[in-house]
Amino acid sequence: MSRHTEALTRLSKQRPKNRSARWSALALALLAAGSWIAGDFGADSMLSERRLANMQRFLLELWPHPLQPGSFDISVLLLWVRDLMGEKGFEATVTTLAISVAATFLAGCGGVILALGAARTLATPSPFLPPSRSPGWPVQLFWSGIVVGCRLFMIFVRAIPEYIWAFLLLAIFGPTSWPLVLALAIHNTGILGRLGAEVVENTESPPLSTLRALGATRAQMVFSALFPLTFSRFLLFFFYRWETCVREATVLGMLGISSLGFWIQDARARNHYDEMFFLILLGGLLVLIGDLVSAAAREWVRRQN
Amino acid sequence: MTDQPASQSERSAASGESPARRRVVSGRAALLFAITLAAAWAFLRLDLGLVDLLPSGPSLRMAMDFFSRAASPALTYESPETPAGAAPLLWKAAQAAANTVIFASAAMSLALPLGIVLGLLATSAWWTEDLAGGKSQRQRFIGRTLRPLVYGGTRILIAVMRSIHELLWAVLFLAAFGLTHLSAVIALAIPFSGILAKIFSEMIDEAPRDAAHALRGAGATPSQVFLFGLLPRALPDMTAYSFYRFECALRSSAVLGFFGYPTLGFYLAASFENLYYGEVWTYLYTLFLLIVAVEWWSGVLRRRFVV
Repeated sequence: MSRHTEALTRLSKQRPKNRSARWSALALALLAAGSWIAGDFGADSMLSERRLANMQRFLLELWPHPLQPGSFDISVLLLWVRDLMGEKGFEATVTTLAISVAATFLAGCGGVILALGAARTLATPSPFLPPSRSPGWPVQLFWSGIVVGCRLFMIFVRAIPEYIWAFLLLAIFGPTSWPLVLALAIHNTGILGRLGAEVVENTESPPLSTLRALGATRAQMVFSALFPLTFSRFLLFFFYRWETCVREATVLGMLGISSLGFWIQDARARNHYDEMFFLILLGGLLVLIGDLVSAAAREWVRRQN
Repeated sequence: MTDQPASQSERSAASGESPARRRVVSGRAALLFAITLAAAWAFLRLDLGLVDLLPSGPSLRMAMDFFSRAASPALTYESPETPAGAAPLLWKAAQAAANTVIFASAAMSLALPLGIVLGLLATSAWWTEDLAGGKSQRQRFIGRTLRPLVYGGTRILIAVMRSIHELLWAVLFLAAFGLTHLSAVIALAIPFSGILAKIFSEMIDEAPRDAAHALRGAGATPSQVFLFGLLPRALPDMTAYSFYRFECALRSSAVLGFFGYPTLGFYLAASFENLYYGEVWTYLYTLFLLIVAVEWWSGVLRRRFVV
């Protein structure tokens, strides 16, 4: 028995220890604790009597107002829903969807281009081949400049959230749908470019190096081998980002363009909380449907392989 | 944002031509065509003309003014009369960044435990007898009654939590409680724990089962198998994804400033509306540095952890 315990202690002493993981865990715990201390999150202020009364009133107002007298009549409710949908709900939902589709499409195009520039295996003097002896430092510098430039650009555009991009672009392009579409597209170009670059770098295939060794240009390699090889993996990411675009598109309307968010903000400003709640649920439904469609599409792409 | 398992597609891609493969290509072409068609519909529907992309007159000048300041962010206030006691601009930016981190990490410290609990409840691995081996009466009871109830219930709860955007949760809470800091944190935490739970459950279900099978063979109980066989195999991916979510929390926390919270978005919007474009770039670069720092940290950890 003691022999076993000894062996176990020895094994546990020998196990690989991970200093950086421990320090990180400690630092994160401190950060969490510190943020609760430093932030002004007093729970008592939230549960004060006045606030509780406010909340109660608010919860009552979420209930559709034609049903207010306390009786539940399904036909009244349906009429209310039909009016809301006909007036704005349907239109806003379709606009939201269209914004997400247009933005993801643009992001996909931009992402492919940036991915090619940011992939270290492709943007080098000798793509997909062992490093050649002496490409000369200007050539080397040129290619690493492209990689670093693409990566910096991608990090910057994805570090800034869609909402802030939309806010800035709205002032430039005025009240069309372009600012929203472009904001989503810019942010997601950064993300898709980064993911795409990883896909390209993880692709090590004989066809690519063979093509290069036979003297194919980079463009020839890309179109004849790289695209077919990486297409489906890129598509998985494309649909995954579309999901998030639907989610964001509902919200960006709050800046004043008529997607769902606009009407949510509008209902809130008029204190029509029942309407606001209905539109929020409608947005949630759209997101859920988008998730299902995207999951089905990704499953289909995976099965095609 | 951990990668989908890519090895499978690589393998089949390398396995060469086959009759089935030729059909694949046309299927992909059809999908590409469908995507383009959908995009065309969207552009028409939104009435997105290319002409609108060329700003003219005052908006062009504004765009030039704004983007020309990208290379020279403001280091001091741009407003001609600054109140005497005001803190320097960079100090204010640092404080806004600190507030952004505070909201984000407070939200994550709620979302992570909740996401883990809900994620475990939503794994199919936890509920299948696969982990336990034989079928006792208790397991049959769990399989028939408890499993659909808890598993289905958790899945629905997760879906509702994450399908409503954090800013919409914030709007709801603003209307309910007014501008309290705690409600912003909770608004961030609800959808984030839903998303974490969904991804965690998928990661655990897709984790390699080798250690779990070995432990089961050695006679471990189901919970031991789960905790020591299955969970550690999914842990690196879960850590990486949590860091990515922290990054997202930072961005969302910055945006919450637009609703009046003292994070980066608040000062950014104020400076932009006053046309102090240099200050806007200062705040944008501050946010950029925050995100880069988190990404760097996660990268260091992942390199040590996974390899």
